Formats: sequence, structure tokens, C-alpha cells
Amino acid sequence: MGKTVFIKDTAIAGKDKTRDFYGVFLGILREKGLENEVQLVRVADVGVYGQGMVVRVLPENFLYTNVQESDIPAIVLESVVGGKPVPGKSSTQPSRQLRIVLRNCGVIDPESIEDYIARDGYQALAKVLGGYTPEKVIQEMKASGLRGRGGAGFPTGTKWEITRKAQGDQKYMICNGDEGDPGAYMDRSVLESDPHSVIEGMIIGAYAIGASKGYFYIRAEYPLAIERIEKAILQCRERGILGEGILGSSFNLDLEIRLGAGAFVCGEETALIASIEGKRGYPSPRPPFPSIKGLWGKPTCINNVETLANIPVILMKGGAWFSGIGNESSKGTKVFAVTGKVKNSGLVEVPMGTVIEDIVYGICGGAMSGKSVKAIQTGGPSGGVIPKEFFQTKVDYESLQKMGSIMGSGGMIVMDEDDCMVDIAKFYLGFCVDESCGKCAPCRIGGTQMLRILKKITNGEGTQKDLGQLEQISFAMQKASLCGLGQTAPNPVLSTFHYYRAEYDAHVDQKKCPACKCAKLIRFLILQDKCLKCGTCFKSCPVNAISGNRESGYLIDQTKCIRCGQCFEVCKPRAISRS
Amino acid sequence: MTKKDLESIKEKHNGTDRNWIKVGFSTCGIAAGAKEVYETLIEEKRKHNADVEIKKCGCVGICSAEPLVEVHIKNMPTVFYGKVDKEVATKIMEKHVCGKMLVNDRIYDLKLN
Repeated sequence: MGKTVFIKDTAIAGKDKTRDFYGVFLGILREKGLENEVQLVRVADVGVYGQGMVVRVLPENFLYTNVQESDIPAIVLESVVGGKPVPGKSSTQPSRQLRIVLRNCGVIDPESIEDYIARDGYQALAKVLGGYTPEKVIQEMKASGLRGRGGAGFPTGTKWEITRKAQGDQKYMICNGDEGDPGAYMDRSVLESDPHSVIEGMIIGAYAIGASKGYFYIRAEYPLAIERIEKAILQCRERGILGEGILGSSFNLDLEIRLGAGAFVCGEETALIASIEGKRGYPSPRPPFPSIKGLWGKPTCINNVETLANIPVILMKGGAWFSGIGNESSKGTKVFAVTGKVKNSGLVEVPMGTVIEDIVYGICGGAMSGKSVKAIQTGGPSGGVIPKEFFQTKVDYESLQKMGSIMGSGGMIVMDEDDCMVDIAKFYLGFCVDESCGKCAPCRIGGTQMLRILKKITNGEGTQKDLGQLEQISFAMQKASLCGLGQTAPNPVLSTFHYYRAEYDAHVDQKKCPACKCAKLIRFLILQDKCLKCGTCFKSCPVNAISGNRESGYLIDQTKCIRCGQCFEVCKPRAISRS
Repeated sequence: MTKKDLESIKEKHNGTDRNWIKVGFSTCGIAAGAKEVYETLIEEKRKHNADVEIKKCGCVGICSAEPLVEVHIKNMPTVFYGKVDKEVATKIMEKHVCGKMLVNDRIYDLKLN
């Protein structure tokens, strides 16, 4: 293979100098007569951030960061010609991601079962059916230490064991694909990109608990995921991987798909069961847990999509292998959907115990457009925020809980300095109020009242008494709500309250929004001494609140202004103040 | 189907090293325009009579850079092109597949992180 050199300017501030550097580098290659043998390529992203000019030499993969023009001859001589790293200059790039759940995502054609089989697909199933008793499978799962990836973190092996031991002539296996947290889409991606691994996980689970019937519960908003699962189930039936006598054994299982109609609460297992039964998606008090008395009163095991995708690998490589990944309490890896104001949004899979900083800065490249990250939000509407000061926190079930957040299903929303924490709390609470099923009073009434108070605060009408009341209602909801939705709905409020009390106080006492986000508490003014009278703001205003002309300058009519911030964004000389 | 059949499918599939292009076809990719990219690649392949297989795949996780196209050509580094449009897809076929030259400014070298 010929030599290839990647270059990219990774500095956060200032102009991108990749092109200039490219010219210099190419000049040096020409001097040495190497321009035809070496491919010099400007890349869009080199996977390293905030380290100046970065050069990578392939195929050996020598990486150089903060490269100066004077360093080029040495790199060309040693690495490009010599195939060796430049002594003392070459750096290594830590490999932070570890792909177990996403092992096939983006690698195989999700609509081809052959592609999946070629990547060791259904080998774990063959191994299990060929010689493992259900008890041995459960033992292996318990040894792996895998905990439910839907958020609660209940040990999967234990759940299987309870369902196995429960009395019942018929048992059911359910895959929970009712992913609903704002900003989370790991399960959709896995279902769309690697449907067979989830099916394989389900068959193994069904074998372990002794079920002969399984259901995929997928939300109707995921049409492509449904289509691909449907196709995959058909392919399996045709090849004897589903149906009677799976892979020549005596084990039978059939899978069916049930669609969720879009209610968030149906991700809760008792509500999900009610929904499959054709009833209204209402949660019911536990115990009895579904493992004892679930779908149609029979023992039922419900596992999340990501949990199931882990299972074939665990049984291929053994529980001991899996428990070697991660930290003391949380084993294996976790997929996060990193979204919000981050440079590279997308899916990342890291071993448990990776620090937040590595995910936000190391893998995802930090904040977008040079602003600074303020906090992250994990766990969706049941979770909380973690401020930047605590980015050394490890991601595992216990550490995140200690910080007042939760692991949740894996949504990670990055917020920057422009995000107001009161507004964030209001958003998540609004989501829970919308999605509350209305069955129990603490959630139905408490949520609405908390939202009313938060709206009052962001409108500049709040008092210190309101803050006390917020806390009081929060505790009541946590204690008295029927299901997880109501019990955890106040979490975003409590967690922002804990870390950003000053922001709440500013809203209440000074009627100011420090992040300049709450429309009622800010105003825009044109600074006449800085204004160039260009008229850009005049044209951008959607409500014609800016008057004037290019001779006399411009003024904002505060009574008409809707505080959308359009003028602030478009003003190049920054002559519009926001306060 | 038995364990033996699984093995034989695996062997048949993993046989030879061939040139391929994979286009990310999950919701994220399709929404960003993967379909147009895929059709352009097929069309350009026909035009150039190129020795390359064009496949669909799922989401690799670099959602901010969709549509993503992964290109594997013998004796060249396997790379991801991000934010691919019709024009870049044409360039990938002309320059990368036929000319054995990587296309500038569109490679997302994120495999290792």
C-alpha cells in the first residue's frame, strides 16, 4: 500500500489553516520528488480535537499533533520515507470506544441475514441450543454482570432466573423498543442497523426462561425499524431460526411485532404489557412483577433492545469475558446518543466507567462553534444535569446516581452557555406533564402545578416562596406517584435546583435570566456608538419592531419586540446588546 | 438450517477481498439524502464500468456527518466520506474508485476514536 498523509487543522478558534498547510506540505513533497508516490489529503475530521495542526501518516498510523511548518521535513523524512515515527514527536490516540452492541452497525446490510451470519451471527444461538441447559445460560448471564440497559439497571441474569422459576404453563419474552426519551435514539439505530442481533438475543432469552412466544414492542414512530425487524423475522422463519425446532433442536419460538401508539408511559413495563393486551396503556402497581404475573397473567420477561443486542456476544465469548469490561458495579459497555450543542453528535459506545469528559471532548469534539460547554443532561426526563465541573464523573449506574442524575436509556444532551437551566427544567417537566397518563393524582396534579410555577418564574413573576413550593411538590411526587414516570419527573427540577440555585435566584430576585434565554426577562438594545447603520437587523426582524433608516440609524420598539434574538444573531459588529 | 449451514454461509461470504462502497441507510442517513447518493453511485458505476460493489448498511454512529459513505478499495486506506452529496458521490467514483486518489475535504477519519 502506498503512503497516505491526512492533515487537518483542529484548533478551536481562528481561521482553518488546513489549506495553507496543505500547500506547504505539498511543496516539500515536490522538492523531494515524492508527490506522485504519496497521497496528501485534507480531511474534514481527523478524530482529534483542539490540538492545532494534526498530521496522520498511513498505513502505519503515526499521529502528530500541534505540527509546525518546521516539523514537516522531519515527518517526511522519518515517517513518509522511512516508515518510522519521528522520535519524541509522534503521539498516540487513545481508543476510547469499544463496540459490542454496535459491532455490526454500519458494517453489515441490515436486510441481509447472510451478512449477519458472516459476522458470527446465530453462532451463539447454535452454541446454546447445541449444549447449554437453560440454567447454564442463566448462570453465564449472571456471571457476565449485565444489567438492564433501559435505565433501571436490574441484573438481566437475575430477571431471567426469576421468570424461569415462576410457575406458568406459558411464558412470554418481550423486547422493549418503546424508546421515548428526548434526544435518545440508540435503540432505533440498533433495530435498524442490526435487527438480527436483537432477534438472536430474544431467542436465547426465550430459551433460558422457557418461553415459546415473544413480542417486539416498537413505537410506531420508527417505521424503518419496524420494516427491518419484520423482514428479519421472515428471513429467520424461512431458514428455521424461528418457528418449530429451531436450528434442528427441540426448541420452538415465534416472534410477533406490536406497535406502540406513541405514549411515553408505555415504555414502563406494566403499561407496555397492558398496551400489548389491547388495553389502555396504564401502569399498574408492582408487585406482582411481570416476571411472576405479566402478559395475560403469565410470567413475562421484558428486556430492552440494547440489553438483548449484548446477549449473543456474551454467550459467544463467555460471561467472564464480559465482566472484565467496565468497572466494579457496572459491566460491559453503554451506548450513548450524544446530541445537543456538540460538534459531532451521534452514537458512541464506551466501556462503563469512562469519564464524561472523554465522551464530550475526546470523542465528540466539545461544543459547537467555539462556545463553552455548560453541562450535560443524561437520563431524559427522569434524569438530571451534570455541570462541567463534574465531568470527571464516571459513567456507570451508581456514579451518575450519586450526581443526582441517572444512566437512563442513554440520551446525553450537551448544553452550552446559552442554555438556561430553569428553561431546561421547564422543558423536561413539560414533557412529563404531556406524557402523564393521568391515573394517579401526584403525577397528574403535581406535574401541572410544578410546570405552572416554573412558567411563572421564567416569566419573571416568581418569588422565593415558589421555589420552596417547587421542592415540596417534588418530594411529594417522588414519594407518592404510582410508576417511574411520576416518581422521576421532578428529577430535572431538583438537579438543576441543586447545581444552579443561583440561576433560579436570579430569575426570582433580580428578574434576570443569566443565560439570556427566557424571553420575558431579556431585552435587546441597539448600541448607537457601535452601529454601522447597515440595516441587516431591520431586515431580519420578523415583527417589524425595528424602525429607522440608513441615515438616521435604527431603534428597537420594546413593545413590539418578541425577543426572538434574530437581530442579535445577524449583527456582525455586535452592536446589539442582550441583557 | 443447522450449525453446519451457518458455517458454510460464513465461509462463502468471507471469501475474497473485493472492492466495495457502503452507503449508510438508516433513518439518519436517508433523511440526509442517502438515497440520492446511492443512486448517483450506481449510475456513476455503470458509466465508468467500475469494479466495485455498492452496498447498503446501517448507521455507524457519526450522525452529524450523514450521509456517510465508506469506501474500501484494494491497496488503499478504507475511509468514511461524510456529508456526501451528488457532486461528492461523483467525485468518489471518478477520483477514488477509478483514479485511486482520495477526495479532499470530505474524509471523516473517526474510526479509531
